[in-house]
Amino acid sequence: MTKEKTVDVESLLCLALDIGKSMIKCGAEISRVEETIIRICCAFNMKQTEVFSIVSMITVTTYDENEKSYTQSRRTYSHSTNLGKLEKLNALSREICETKCDISYAKEKLLEINSEKSVFHVTALIGHILGASAFTVFFGGSILDALAAMPIAVVIYLMNTFIKARGMNKLFYTALCSAISGTLAFVFAKIGFGNDPNMIMIGDIMLIIPGLMLINSVREMLCGDIMSGLLRMIESIIISAAIACGFAVPILIFAKLGW
Amino acid sequence: MDLRQAVITILSGIVGTLGFSLVFRMNKKKIIWAVIGGAFTCVVYVVCCRFFSHEFFQNVFPALFCAAYSEIFARLTRSPATPYIACSIISLVPGSKLFYTMYYAITSDMENFRTTLFQTFRIAAGLAVGIIVVSVIIREVNYNKFKNIYDVE
Repeated sequence: MTKEKTVDVESLLCLALDIGKSMIKCGAEISRVEETIIRICCAFNMKQTEVFSIVSMITVTTYDENEKSYTQSRRTYSHSTNLGKLEKLNALSREICETKCDISYAKEKLLEINSEKSVFHVTALIGHILGASAFTVFFGGSILDALAAMPIAVVIYLMNTFIKARGMNKLFYTALCSAISGTLAFVFAKIGFGNDPNMIMIGDIMLIIPGLMLINSVREMLCGDIMSGLLRMIESIIISAAIACGFAVPILIFAKLGW
Repeated sequence: MDLRQAVITILSGIVGTLGFSLVFRMNKKKIIWAVIGGAFTCVVYVVCCRFFSHEFFQNVFPALFCAAYSEIFARLTRSPATPYIACSIISLVPGSKLFYTMYYAITSDMENFRTTLFQTFRIAAGLAVGIIVVSVIIREVNYNKFKNIYDVE
């Protein structure tokens, strides 16, 4: 390209931030988000770009060739893991950097990626069932325990799709989810479907416990993103405390009943 | 860990990896590579369990292998490495340890709480260090390509 296109920096920055926000929402590391935003701004000949991002916030200042500065920020609220979407976003940002395509075109593609709503997916349901039963066996449960973990995984998936999507308080939701599945595990063990309620439960807990988030938080802290690493670590510890509190409810109830 | 237990660990690790790559909604064409990576990561983990008794060393080598495998297949299939790492490492993630730590904390079982807490952090540190070592090596190899982006001050 001999003649450089002049772009509207405001909308360029808006696009870069929207991509960054979507990436955080589907579980990307902070360093990847910052790098993506810098690359997009670099591709459109911005002189200097400063990004600061933590899990719940991105702020960017970029300078064009006339040293005029533009600053925008985004706040992110919830995040989950959606690796397919992360891959699509990464491909989009690569395409933007390589072809320097129109911003309106890129915005349309971003909208297309984001338009996928979290409704019922059969493959995700199968994944929940397989994951729960496999980890029941992995941690030393019997085959019967694995079979008992399957219906509980279905309940967890249905709760995830129909209750969590309504934006209920995350901690309360997690404790509720854990209490309901713990009660089911105890009832199953009581009627002879499964041997040990703790073993049935541990496979299902793997579906809701933020273990991967703990690993990522340590990773981010060791890479130098101490702020977002700390935020993630504290969040994962609080969520697991909520799970443990939820699981304590059926234990106390069934101890009182003398089962 | 005897042979029967090792086989059970590896097989359930493979099914668990498949399950979680569906839960994380990974690209369907690439799930097969993540599952193969998860299988070999479990094998490396089982072998390491025979040689080391410390949790850090039991987990750092599988994580090294997993990250190296993921970086290679990310390049071959033209996608970021994060999805592969997240899926293949899932069977080593200390989810049950983290749960038991918090469970002992709320039941005031301080003795068990302390042991599981340190176990959890040794495992988490092992996995994180394994992944980071590979990404640092990759970054150094690619340094000239991305010099303007890393922008060392």
